[in-house]
This record gives sequence, C-alpha cells and structure tokens, in this order.
Amino acid sequence: MNEAIHPLAKKTVVWHLAVTSLVLILMMIFGVIMLMNQGEMISITPQWFYKIMTAHGTGMVGIAALGGTAILWYFLSKYIKLNPAILIVNFVLFLTGVTMVLIAIFVFDFSDGWTFLYPLPAQSAKMYGAAGAVFFLSGMLVLGIGFLILYMYLAARLTAVYGGLGKALGWDIIFRGKKGYGPPAAVVATAMVIITNSTALLAGATVLAASLVNIINPAVTMDPLLAKHLTYAFGHIFANCTIYMAVIAVYEVLSEYTKRPWKANKVFLIAWNCSTLFTLMIYTHHLLMDFAVPKWMLIIGQVFSYANGLPVMVVTAYGALMIVYRSRMKWDFASSLFFLSMFGWVAGAIPAIIDATIVVNHVMHNTKWVPGHFHTYMGMGVVAMIIGFMYYFNKTEGNQQHRGIDTFTIALYFSFFTGFVGSFLYAGGISAPRRWAEHLPQWVLSDQVGAISGIFIVVAAIIFSARFFSGLRSVGTNVHYQKKSAAG
Amino acid sequence: MYQQIAMYATVFFVFLLGLAFAFVYGESKRSGEYSTIQEKGYKIRKFYFLGLIAIMAFATVMTLGRLPYDSNQAEAEGLNETKAVKVTGVQYAWEMSEETFKAGDKVQFDVTASDVTHGFGLYNENMELVAQTQAMPGYTNTVYYTFKEPGTYQILCLEYCSAGHHVMVKEIVVEPEGGASDE
Repeated sequence: MNEAIHPLAKKTVVWHLAVTSLVLILMMIFGVIMLMNQGEMISITPQWFYKIMTAHGTGMVGIAALGGTAILWYFLSKYIKLNPAILIVNFVLFLTGVTMVLIAIFVFDFSDGWTFLYPLPAQSAKMYGAAGAVFFLSGMLVLGIGFLILYMYLAARLTAVYGGLGKALGWDIIFRGKKGYGPPAAVVATAMVIITNSTALLAGATVLAASLVNIINPAVTMDPLLAKHLTYAFGHIFANCTIYMAVIAVYEVLSEYTKRPWKANKVFLIAWNCSTLFTLMIYTHHLLMDFAVPKWMLIIGQVFSYANGLPVMVVTAYGALMIVYRSRMKWDFASSLFFLSMFGWVAGAIPAIIDATIVVNHVMHNTKWVPGHFHTYMGMGVVAMIIGFMYYFNKTEGNQQHRGIDTFTIALYFSFFTGFVGSFLYAGGISAPRRWAEHLPQWVLSDQVGAISGIFIVVAAIIFSARFFSGLRSVGTNVHYQKKSAAG
Repeated sequence: MYQQIAMYATVFFVFLLGLAFAFVYGESKRSGEYSTIQEKGYKIRKFYFLGLIAIMAFATVMTLGRLPYDSNQAEAEGLNETKAVKVTGVQYAWEMSEETFKAGDKVQFDVTASDVTHGFGLYNENMELVAQTQAMPGYTNTVYYTFKEPGTYQILCLEYCSAGHHVMVKEIVVEPEGGASDE
C-alpha cells in the first residue's frame, strides 16, 4: 500500500505541530517559574503557583497528545486513505477544550491540578465559585470527545482495511500460526492506541461527567476511591499513549535512514499486544498507597508495571539499537533525536519501574521522584520524538537542511535535560514532596539546579521552534507524501 | 534506605543504558550485513530478556514480603503493644487522637479525611519520608510505624488538596524511651 496524505491533512499536521511547539515553550516557561519559586529565586503567591501547575500538567500532556496525533496521522496516511475532516474536527475540539481549560484556570481561578481528585472540584466550587470547575471539567470533556471521535474513525478504517483491530495487532500471526509479517508498525501502534486510549477516554468521561453532576447537584455523589481509579485510568493511560503514537516516527524514520526494514515479526507483535494489555492495567501503581484497594490489585500494579518495561526495553529500544548498529546511517537532526528519544524512553522507565515497587513507593510516592521519571520519559522521549518529526517533516516536505546550530541545540537540550531530571530525582531521593508551592531550605538547592537547567531547555526549545517555523516556508502545500527521502 | 537503593539503582542502570547507546552510536559509522546483525542480535536478546526477567523476579520476591500494610510484621516484632491513633486530614490540618509518642512505640495510624483526598506522609527528624498512605474521605487506610528514634517528626500532606496543600504540616514529638526526663 502506498497512499498519499491528503493536502488538507498535511496542512492540519502543520497546524498541529505549530500549536505544539508554541504551547510547549509556554508550558516549559510555566515549569521554570514553578521551580524558580520553589528555589526562592522569585516569589509568586501559592494561588498562582497552583494555577500554573494545573496549566502545566494539563497542557504538557495535551500537547504531547496533539503532537503524537500529527505523527500518527502523517505516517498512517502512507498505508490507509484517511479523511482529513476527522483530523480537523479533532483539532478544533482540542482548541475549544484547551480554551475552556485556560479560561477555567486564568479567569475563574481553577487550580485543582490535572488530577482533579473527586470531591476536590466540588469543594473548590463551593469556595471559589462553580464556573472554574465547570469550565475545566467541561473543557477536558470536549477535548476527550475530540480524541474519541478520532479513535472511533481510525478503528473503523483499520477494520475496513485490515479486517479488525485484532488483525491489525497481528492476532492471526500470534494465535493462528499465519506465516509472514504483520501490518506496518504504524498500523500496529494505531490499533494499540485506539484500544487503550478509548478505554482511558471513557473512564475519563465517566469521572468528568460525574464530577460535573456532583457540582450541579451535590446530592449525587460518587465513591472517591472509584473516582480516583477512573481519573488515573484516564490520565495515566492517556499520557502513556502519547509515546505509543510518537514512536511511529521512530519506526518509520530510522528504517528509512538505515535502509533496513523494521518489519512486524511475531516477537514485535507479541510485544505490542503485551503493551496494549499492560498499559491498561498498570495505572494501579498510582494507587499503591491507597491501602483500601484490594491487595491483589496492588500486587498486580507492581508486577505488571515491571512487565510493561519489557516490550520497550527488549523489543522497541533494542530494535532501534539493532537497526542503527553498523548501518552507516546519516546522523542529522531527525535521526539523532529519534535515537536519543529511545534512550530517553528507557531511561525514564527505569526510575518508574523502581517506584512501582510497593516498598519503594511507600517512601517515594508523590515525592519529586515521580515527576523526575515522567519528565525523563516525556521530555527526552515523547517531546524529542515530536521535535525530531518537525524537522523530518520540513526536510521531507520542504528543503530544510541540518546546520551546526541544530547539533548545538540537540546537545544543549539533552545535556540540560539530564541535569533537570537529575535534580528532580535527587529531590525525590531526599523526600521533597511534589506539588508544593513552597519548599523547605534543604530542598531549595535541587530546585535551583532544576530551574537553571530549565532555562537552558527553554532556550533550546525556542531555537528548535524557530528552526521549525523558518523551515516551514519551504514546505509546499500540494506536494504528495514522500516527495523525497529525508535520509538521502 | 529504599531512597538510596532507588537512586543508586537508577544511576547504575541508566549508566549501562548510556553505554549501550554510545557503543551503538560509535558502531553506526561502520557498515555490516543486516541479516547477520539480526541473527546475532536475536541471540543476545534472549539472554538480555532472561536477565531482565531474573532481575525483576528477584526484586518481586524480595519486596512483596514487606508490604507496608501488612500488620503481621509489626505484631511479630518488639515488646510494646501497638498503639492505635486516629488521623483525619482536613483542608489544611491533621487532626489526631494522640500526638505524643515514646521511642519504641509501635503505632497503628488509622488515616482518613473529612473533606477531600490528602496524603499522609510521616517524616523523621532528618526530614526523610519514613511511611505513607492516602487520607481519603469514606475510607480508613491503616499504616504502621515503629518510632525507633526520639525527636520531632512531621506529617506532611503528600496528595494535592488545593491552595493550602503545602501548609498542611503537623509536628509530633517522640520522647526518649522511659520519658522526656531521660535527656
């Protein structure tokens, strides 16, 4: 199959990437402001800190999903004809949802975090007025509906072309002994994301709708533990899926650069099926300190969180190493970032797996260790993949060239990101709590290291974005997919 | 202890990972037949996979016997009786049925919340987190801790509970065994 991406979809992908790069910079600045405040380098009120924290958490996961969607759509278009209207609907609903969330935070002072743990939104609504909570929860709902529409459409397309999500995940090869290779990696990953993220979004929609009803009519209540399950089933899976969408670019681009096929063999398909199952189950590691949860469920949280590291460590990252090994491939902006992003993904998984150990979690849950691990995974993994794709897109669709400044920016970004996540992990190691507006003196030094590292990361992100926008000028809007190879 | 293990283990494994990526990057400048690389690579992968499984199985066996909510261990050790203390989190304070303890006391904290979800984080005098559970309305989570050392301990809120989250701190005093006059 060799389809061409619809010109309108290509334009929409550009919009996705443009919004992603700008929001990314803004959210990074928010992150630096929080660290500077904790590090006593500036002073903002706790109310402002928590508002910024809410915007930062929600915004970062949101833009990672937006960037991931652009990658998924772009490469999936190689194999399946897709209707650009759905991508546009997703984009419009995303922007509508985000606008509502921003109004909630910055106009109506909503600051309950992306976690919005029930009954916190109702409690805040009583204190600060209902508008903030209602705008935030409704905005998240609108955003989620946009993604749900996208996944339902993609499910229908995969069913039409491949005969169902099971076949798209290679079940006929795994279970029925069919010989040969499964569908392209982009299709396998899309099927996985459809299953996991639709489940996440339905869980999210349930808790969001119930919270809204509770605010409007307090007589209708919900069990707080069930609500927490639904919130984390939503948040953890959704955040997780951003990398499963973005990694499609790694498969496609490294394969192209090395001129080596990255085929979906049986082990590859088993790994992706395991990821599908484990990604649905391991959110329970967020509830390891809720002792009221049945013990067997908590033990599953530990065991399967360990197991969820295996597909990426043994198949995806290992596959990336194998494909690059003695390939004489060209190192440029895209290939460097995709290679480093696999390092970032696995490096972020290591402290996550350690923290999923119940006895470790007992003294590290909700310390800065937790943002330490997911900033590694998000910043050096997902975001690196998205930025790498921005360059790849401009080079393939236009004529962007790798320059010395690009090598410098990549080095700047990854060096300071190492310092940045190191400061978080160290702070977690000395028990500094997360989501605290003000820190005790013994925690301040790590915040300062994090803030200074963060400033350099913002500088790198600004250069990345400037290069992306300048490269866009050469992108022809009517050029068919893969006018030329970026690897050449 | 677990914090140190977590930090050293992370540095060690990330270092190994970095070495692997650096090695492959170095080798990327040479060329090789991919089918041969695949053949060797898949063989190495088997051992790598089994090695990871072994490490994870070892960690699972070593740690699942020490779950923090198992009272068995607390009951089996020590001479004193377990002291039950009711703890309630509220925006933005900790209410406790008992606030002073003695070194050697084995305490059963029955933790709940009266408004929204909070996090019960017990810190020792060196501000190291020593025990934790969630304080959730409608549920009682029980966590056990034996105060081995006297000193001023603190309970910090570790689950975001709105704008006063960081001021939700309570000091508790643990006197030396036999009473404060021992000092």
